[in-house]
Amino acid sequence: MDTFDQLLYGFGVALSPENLLFVFLGCLLGTVIGMLPGLGPISAISLMIPIAFTLDPASAIILLAGVYYGAIFGGSTSSILLNAPGVAGTVATSFDGYPMARKGAAGKALAIAAFASFTGGTVGVIGLMLIAPSLSALTVSFGPAEYFGLMVLGLTAVVSLSGQNLTKGLISATVGVMIALVGIDSQTSTLRFTFGRPELYEGVQFLIVALGVFALAEVFVMILRRGRGTTGGQLSSLRLNRREVRTMSGPTARGSVLGFFVGVLPGAGATVASFLSYSFEKRIAKDGNTFGKGNIKGVAAPESANNSAAVGSFVPLMTLGVPGSGTTAVLLGALLVLGVQPGPLMLEERPEIFWGVVASMYIGNLVLLILNLPLIPLFAKVLKTPQALLLPLIVVFCVVGVYGHSFNVFDLWLLVGFGVLGFLMRSNGFPAAPLILGLILGGLMERSMRQALQISSGDYSTFLTKPISATLLAVAALSLLGSVLGPWRRRRAAARERAGGGGEGPSGGTGAAPGADGPGDGPAGEGEPGAGPAGPAERPAGPSGDGGDAGEPRPLGPDGGSTGAGEKVPAGHPGGSGPGRSGPPGASMGGDGTPGGERHQDG
Amino acid sequence: MRHFRYPQRAVAAALGVLALGYTLMAFGIPDFQAVEVPVQPGTLPRVLGLLLLALAVALFFQSAGEEEPEAESPAPALAAAKTPPGPAAQDSSAQAASAGDGAGAAGAAGAAAGASAAGGAASAAPERPTTMGRLADDRLELLALLGAMCLYVALFVPLGFVLSTALYVAGTAWYLGSRRHWVNVLVGAGLALGLYLGMSQGLDVALPTGPLPF
Amino acid sequence: MSRTRPRLFAAAAGTAAALLLTACGGSGTAAGGPWKPSKPIEYVAPANTGGGWDTLARSTARILEEDDLVDRPMRVVNKPGAGGAIGWAYVANHAKDPHKLFVTSPPILLVPMAGESDHSHRDFTPIARLMSEPLAYVVKNNSPIKDFGDLADRLKADPKKVSVAGGSGPGSLDHVGLAGAVQAAGADPSKVKYVPFDGGGEAITGLLGGHVDVAVAGASEAQGLSKSGDVRVLAVSSGERVKTLPDAPTLVESGVDYEFDVWRGVMGPAGLTDEQVAYYEKAFAEMVKQDSWKKERDRFGWTDAWMNSGEFGEFLNDQEKELGEILSSVGLKKK
Repeated sequence: MDTFDQLLYGFGVALSPENLLFVFLGCLLGTVIGMLPGLGPISAISLMIPIAFTLDPASAIILLAGVYYGAIFGGSTSSILLNAPGVAGTVATSFDGYPMARKGAAGKALAIAAFASFTGGTVGVIGLMLIAPSLSALTVSFGPAEYFGLMVLGLTAVVSLSGQNLTKGLISATVGVMIALVGIDSQTSTLRFTFGRPELYEGVQFLIVALGVFALAEVFVMILRRGRGTTGGQLSSLRLNRREVRTMSGPTARGSVLGFFVGVLPGAGATVASFLSYSFEKRIAKDGNTFGKGNIKGVAAPESANNSAAVGSFVPLMTLGVPGSGTTAVLLGALLVLGVQPGPLMLEERPEIFWGVVASMYIGNLVLLILNLPLIPLFAKVLKTPQALLLPLIVVFCVVGVYGHSFNVFDLWLLVGFGVLGFLMRSNGFPAAPLILGLILGGLMERSMRQALQISSGDYSTFLTKPISATLLAVAALSLLGSVLGPWRRRRAAARERAGGGGEGPSGGTGAAPGADGPGDGPAGEGEPGAGPAGPAERPAGPSGDGGDAGEPRPLGPDGGSTGAGEKVPAGHPGGSGPGRSGPPGASMGGDGTPGGERHQDG
Repeated sequence: MRHFRYPQRAVAAALGVLALGYTLMAFGIPDFQAVEVPVQPGTLPRVLGLLLLALAVALFFQSAGEEEPEAESPAPALAAAKTPPGPAAQDSSAQAASAGDGAGAAGAAGAAAGASAAGGAASAAPERPTTMGRLADDRLELLALLGAMCLYVALFVPLGFVLSTALYVAGTAWYLGSRRHWVNVLVGAGLALGLYLGMSQGLDVALPTGPLPF
Repeated sequence: MSRTRPRLFAAAAGTAAALLLTACGGSGTAAGGPWKPSKPIEYVAPANTGGGWDTLARSTARILEEDDLVDRPMRVVNKPGAGGAIGWAYVANHAKDPHKLFVTSPPILLVPMAGESDHSHRDFTPIARLMSEPLAYVVKNNSPIKDFGDLADRLKADPKKVSVAGGSGPGSLDHVGLAGAVQAAGADPSKVKYVPFDGGGEAITGLLGGHVDVAVAGASEAQGLSKSGDVRVLAVSSGERVKTLPDAPTLVESGVDYEFDVWRGVMGPAGLTDEQVAYYEKAFAEMVKQDSWKKERDRFGWTDAWMNSGEFGEFLNDQEKELGEILSSVGLKKK
């Protein structure tokens, strides 16, 4: 049989009425479960396992696979609407998805996520079908040294996620890595920073930190916002105009391909893929400075990447019988109980399972799109809930998500603690994204570094003599150099220009240069001297840079400390913000909203 | 947020103390001698502790004015916050307070900014009467809600999921100003029951039951 | 599907009732029959879904229920964390509660010895040992290492030249199984370059990519790739060859006098009465005779390793001594 015949055969398996029902059921349940903050694909699959065990193997795996990508698909919803990423893979989606939702474009953000997911998933399935067997070579080519290179490359994204103040970004990332190191050290079984609490032996769950510093911190901020800044606009509209489609197509395509290849590597998976793809797009985009403020590319790139990575992680499972991620580990266990031994012989021994799964993934992706598009307006309406009611509900969902993982009240206290930490970070201009990145990659980086050195008997040159890790490290060094030198040169140029202009402007990359007043508030003219002259030189793009967040200090995303300044930039008056990383002069605002358009409503 | 924005040097100093404590702990991690390992379990923590220390020092000496102008703009914003919250004035004063905090965060905007932002927000208040909360002082308000959250967590197991959740949702919604009481109670109880049934029956996730008989 | 978490007072009431029954003498029930569970049995797998403990818990629970060997349903509850310590701490906190059981294996001995659990096997009541599974010492198909003896020689000659991957940290299952065999073969186990990976699967991936020279993994984890010829199993650690890896010699056949079985069994909280233990013992004894159990067993490549409560208890004490010696020899024993 050639691939096409086999695929047809697979469709024959997947399209039988009952398997079709299972695809549909799996997708639906997965979406719903994945949407609840805290319940990700792993929980979704674990919850389905008892049911799956009563089915025949092909149907069971089709159901479980449906749940799997349904959960990943649904995971972005809570990220976008509530800033509550329940799965590591959707953290990056919230960077721009949530600002979009706050600006009133929740429906649009969800639609972009849906299309990007669909594309990512489909590209992933095509990859799985055509090159899965040859990809197992790529999978095994990544040993500890290579992973170390990949993690270092991923960590360089800290620079682009840091916003204006690199020092604060680095502090966040360092603290993130510190959190990652809590627990029993995998290499020596030594207890580190557990304070005698057995609950901490396995480390701090990613979910607790993410829900704390994103969702709960946001709840605190919303309380202080006192109900202002509630979203208006075309909340539930999911219409994308042609320009937006064009804008998102590039990032989606690149994200899909990148995601698939990263997903193929065991252990790296959807999270690394989404962060890499996000920071890559941010770097190459002309309007990179609007990332984190609701740029549609910032939604499309990580969403496509995490979905195709999810499919990619099936490659090691299907071809080698080794799980590529926590989720596929659970799947592997389920398969074994069902009497299927995944591995190199699976294609010959149980073709109906391999091809049935591939075909059901095609169908599943389509089902997900069809299922979700009509539901998007409904989901988006969540934001219409009066905030007084919405806030406690968000808290409840976070609590359920965390408790449902560990059944442990200790973890709930941790959640509240991280909520407070996240809030204090935000109010003091520390970005949360690097913290999460450090948390996710830091532990993996340490582990692979120590494994590699163990193998090389302590010889550090192993990272440079292995071609893949050397390449990855070189790319990381280059990208660091680029992102440090670029702004530096721009800053120098700006400083030279400013030399006559007087005043120490916001050269260090402050966002808080209070230019003037927001369009709604009317130009009160309290602009600080220095901001004006500095602004044009560094940021000719106009005032829209800060416009992302409706008049609210939100030093979360890359807009760092720009905070309140945003609302005080009169239309047409260049605000001195984000000089460090602005695009070249005249950079267009791309898909982002027009300068004053998305402003807060209370003016 | 103005109340929660601390002078950069204070933040840096606090971070420095934390980093120092962490570093000391990291140096307390015993070396692993059983099997030869090139990198000790304490190595990376030590590096991280020292790195954080260095970053804290850098932050301390980083000109606050240059990086993120501090919010030493007490006059109007504070004044607005301290306006006695009479029944009629409360809305706009809360508005002003938080608008002021926006300005505070923005920092060097200073007095004029605070005043104008507050003014702008206040004038907008009648248009969008979506004020939340009761206490004019942000710090107390946040403490109150944090307290409620802690109470919820503390009662989560003793009262069980359904009761504690219903109480928390209805109570917080009421406190924040959702005035339709029956809606609060209905949403609280409905959500609690729905989630409970969905999780425990449908998904087999056991949530604490408390004194309720199911 | 309904599963309510027994409330504390209900558990206390149950315990009180059980105590009362015991106090009334051996045959305290009204009908005069032996003790029977009065509510669903919480069956704790101290790990996540999909692992070895979970697999055993779910398959045995299903057989016990389907073949009507227990009077109340078995509810599998996953309590992952701290290498199992979270799960068994939960059971330990319900002393004398006859409606809580958990599945167990060597980590119940190893984790406390590494100082990572406040409870040891003495804090629980052994019910039965059910099955065992060997470890497999695996190399890539084109590896120059011919057999386990060859591996041992290389380790003796220059331990720095051979790296061995395992699926868990030092002092845990894979490492102890390796250290014991290496020691028996006459090499110094503390000199072996052991590289811990996150699970046997990752260890084998590292092996396939040529990043490490040898991998230690559960026999079932090596099964697929051994059949396809990608890896070669140097030896299995059990006393007899296993059906799923028929070509792999045992350690003894390879000239190394060592046996190491990854056994799995069931335990309950401390303070169970003889009657309660007897009830479960009998249920599990019946279970291992069922055809459905034999089917599951063969599918996973497990070996029957039945022991009743008393035998299991003694076995645990012996194992503790034996494993403790190996841990001491690599300097990992803390308690």
